[in-house]
Amino acid sequence: MERSISFNPRFDNEFPNERSSDIGYSANDRRLAYSRSFQQSHGPRTPAVTEAAKPYLDRTVSSIDMPPEIYAVDGNDVFSGEGKAAAAGKVSVLLHMVWEIYGVLRNGNRQIKRLFLLISLNVAYSTTELLIGLLTGRVGLVSDAFHLTFGCGLLTFSLFAMATSRKKPDHAYSYGYKRLEVLAAFTNALFLMFMSFSLAVEALHAFIQDESEHKHYLIVSAVTNLLVNLIGVWFFRHYARVNIAYRKAEDMNYHSVCLHVIADSIRSAGLILASWLLSLGVENAEVLCLGLVSVTVFMLVMPLFKATGGVLLQMAPPNIPSSALNKCLRQITSREDVMEVLQARFWEVVPGHTVGSLRLQVKSGIDERPLLQYVYDVYHDLGVQDLTLQTDYT
Amino acid sequence: MESQTQHECNNKQCDSVEIHHHYHHVVEISSGEASLVGAIKKTCGEASCGFSDDKTISRDAAERKASMRKLLVAVVLCVLFITVEVVGGIKANSLAILTDAAHLLSDVAAFAISLFSLWALGWKATPRQSYGFFRIEILGALFSVQMIWLLAGILVYEAIARLHNGSGEVEGSLMFIVSAFGAYLHALGDLIQSIGVMIGGAIIWYKPEWKIIDLICTLVFSVIVLGTTVKMLRNILEVLMESTPSEVDATKLEKGVCEIEDVVAVHELHIWSITLGKILLACHVKIRQEADGDIVLDKVIDYIIKEHNISHVTIQIERQ
Repeated sequence: MERSISFNPRFDNEFPNERSSDIGYSANDRRLAYSRSFQQSHGPRTPAVTEAAKPYLDRTVSSIDMPPEIYAVDGNDVFSGEGKAAAAGKVSVLLHMVWEIYGVLRNGNRQIKRLFLLISLNVAYSTTELLIGLLTGRVGLVSDAFHLTFGCGLLTFSLFAMATSRKKPDHAYSYGYKRLEVLAAFTNALFLMFMSFSLAVEALHAFIQDESEHKHYLIVSAVTNLLVNLIGVWFFRHYARVNIAYRKAEDMNYHSVCLHVIADSIRSAGLILASWLLSLGVENAEVLCLGLVSVTVFMLVMPLFKATGGVLLQMAPPNIPSSALNKCLRQITSREDVMEVLQARFWEVVPGHTVGSLRLQVKSGIDERPLLQYVYDVYHDLGVQDLTLQTDYT
Repeated sequence: MESQTQHECNNKQCDSVEIHHHYHHVVEISSGEASLVGAIKKTCGEASCGFSDDKTISRDAAERKASMRKLLVAVVLCVLFITVEVVGGIKANSLAILTDAAHLLSDVAAFAISLFSLWALGWKATPRQSYGFFRIEILGALFSVQMIWLLAGILVYEAIARLHNGSGEVEGSLMFIVSAFGAYLHALGDLIQSIGVMIGGAIIWYKPEWKIIDLICTLVFSVIVLGTTVKMLRNILEVLMESTPSEVDATKLEKGVCEIEDVVAVHELHIWSITLGKILLACHVKIRQEADGDIVLDKVIDYIIKEHNISHVTIQIERQ
């Protein structure tokens, strides 16, 4: 399949009158088919009007789109880590990635830039810590550096998701790339759950061994860690809540990043508190603090984990109550040409983009167009954008 | 798809992390048996079959119970062996054995997730979970892969720390014995890993000064494990992203549908998997004004089932 560079945003606004292009099979036409389909899904009622009313330049389309080839090269070479790529290929991939990162930073929105800044701060900090730890032979610093590196890796994945999600849907990913953000949010949530479990294990360890593992030099690193993470919390302060109503895909991603930095700062604060209490002579201070931090992080992450898990598990959209769906089904079956609803399935690609698939048993010989329109209208009110309706005649 | 997964599993490191292959893995641990995935594919051949028909459920349930029992046996055996390995590893002061034990631990966790996924597959679809719970398998796999990466990272860190600080004496003979037992019990999956540890143990036994082999083995095994997870991760990602499965040729499908009589165009074609092996399709088919919608619908569904083996389709017929 040839990939053409979609610098021309006008593609999205082609009029549906060009039927002849349906029969041809170049990549352009498929793009046309998909772009038309997004307008089609708003109901077959007034396609012409919708076309004309659409602005020339979509607000979400940046003026310089990343050429898809870059991502194709990346995806194929980075993930096929079987050593297939020749050395020269690897160098060009690296160059491509550098150029891509630069492009993303220049054209990305504010959150992307902030996240990149945060990641670079973290990387710088953890490398310094690693070097100092290795040079002075302090194991605690090295382990902290490793933990930070893991976190950085996850944040980088979130960044990658933010950048990739702007790509248009293509042949392989017919629903687009926005779902990567949900996936990144889920991975972050998963990591935070792991962290909470490991902190609980550490607390147990401290309880059993009854000796303080945190030497005083770790406090300096904890304080710096806390400061870096607080900067992160400030960057993403709009998402510093436990329960958020997710309206777009980015909401989940930003929320997960924010929770990540909050959890990290709570952990650092816990360590500082533990060492202070220990210096005061409080027994089992470490166990208490670590346990508290573990429980707090777990409770912070749970709603995000459940929400992202639900989207990934193809759960029905949480913002559409079952009663509304049932009401729609009743409305449909109340029509005299519909005998029964065989199958009704709804799921979210990303929060805010609901997809539905419906199968109806209808009386033979009826004209399905008004029925189609009616069903589309009924579900459009609920916010279901993409609906596929199959009418089985008896 | 099945031949591909079988091939992957028969290769070297079939770490039981491969959850979606867990049916095959169970096969390897016990004896040859038709894979569960294959069974589901066969029974869901008819167009009217939903994912959670009563027919399929009862047939699945029996096979699922058998798989669950086998997994339970595997979990118990592995837990027993882990205790042996941990004790042996501490006594011999060998990090490679402890690495093996940790991988076994992750295997156990993976088995546990497999068990949970199998159990969850049996849950009936609810109005809120209209596709059933098949995705849990995939999320479980993602969970175990993340755990593997975490464990590998921890072990690499430990290896480096040991390398840096200088470890204690490593008892070669004990290493050899414990890992020989390990090779026997662990069968295919970690065979190479255990052989490697055996070789390492033998070398250290022969030349006790070369205790660095122990640490090098750990690093090598971690890299191998990470390598095998990358491919699985790719599959998981593709399913979770609702991408067109690689075994379906969407271009050919579209062309084929358009060649059917009375069909003018196909658009909004979405093909995605709910889990590996279960593919769904939804599209809009534009037909000529005067054509009989019912007949065209039957032809299209027939074509898709016969030529592309996708049984769960939803086709919207639109007239020009």
